[in-house]
Amino acid sequence: MMNIGEEKADNVVVISIEGRVDGLTAPDLENRISEIVDRGDVRVLLDCEGMTYVSSAGLRIFLTGARKCQLNEGKLMICALQPDCKSVIETSGFHTVIDCHDTREAALAAAS
Amino acid sequence: MLTFVDEILLLMLDDEKGSFLPIRESTMGYVLAGAVLMDLAFANRIDTDPSQLMVLDKTPIGQPLHDRILETIAASNETRDTKAWIETISREATEIREQSLAGLVENGILESQEEKFLWVFRARRYPMIDGRAEREVKLRITGVLLSDETPDPKDVAIICLADACNILREVFSEREIHRIRPRIDQIRKLDLIGREVSGAIQEIEQAIMAAMTHAHH
Repeated sequence: MMNIGEEKADNVVVISIEGRVDGLTAPDLENRISEIVDRGDVRVLLDCEGMTYVSSAGLRIFLTGARKCQLNEGKLMICALQPDCKSVIETSGFHTVIDCHDTREAALAAAS
Repeated sequence: MLTFVDEILLLMLDDEKGSFLPIRESTMGYVLAGAVLMDLAFANRIDTDPSQLMVLDKTPIGQPLHDRILETIAASNETRDTKAWIETISREATEIREQSLAGLVENGILESQEEKFLWVFRARRYPMIDGRAEREVKLRITGVLLSDETPDPKDVAIICLADACNILREVFSEREIHRIRPRIDQIRKLDLIGREVSGAIQEIEQAIMAAMTHAHH
């Protein structure tokens, strides 16, 4: 189960993720990121404070989203990872290809 | 559309001779098993995390051997991780390879030739007759490794497989590989199945090295 929230902060679209991002829920997240980028909002922040689990399928969507933003001259960032998810992100080296911040405030400050 | 199994096999073949590059059998087995799992993962049939491999959807993908393997995984009662499945599936490497080669011949990418050597032994070679597919794979690999761009997950997967069986030297010179090694290492960590394939191959290589060292003493 995953819930997605969306709000705009300055020129960044913040997607709040709650629950599990896995093979069953990742397509919804992928579609949402695509819709946002396709309408011209190419600076996207994934707020993962409520994300409890991320699988390989979820990580692939993070990468696909980051690539889509980059190809449109934007950027995708991640913030507020819980320890378990942070460990998965760091073990797989995703933090070396996607900017990760400890808090939403830090991410928005970096984006401005 | 080519599968990861097809793409990695094309890279494993010497284009002119049509024979396989010198790759240890166990390595080829793990790489082909990883490629099958990647095909199933990208078709949203399975998902993985560091501790388990899960079936999301048992619907066949239309590749007989992949579908049989998917059925086997789905029928399993025990929770197993990706590495355990790679080891199990690698036992079917010959069949995986033959099925993919037959498809590549049927699609006019390779041709199949049988040759005799030493008057008795027969060997099958697969010279390339349409190099476009392989060129496209190589272009994707160079595009990712020679830039800082965020990679497409599919390109990450094929780079993991190619590096695991040490065939990036078919795309780059030794000097270039040395120069881009940090980028290769960055990319190959991004795919969990690819990481497990590399890990399994490293374990075997270490065991062989240890056995050789032991034999010397």
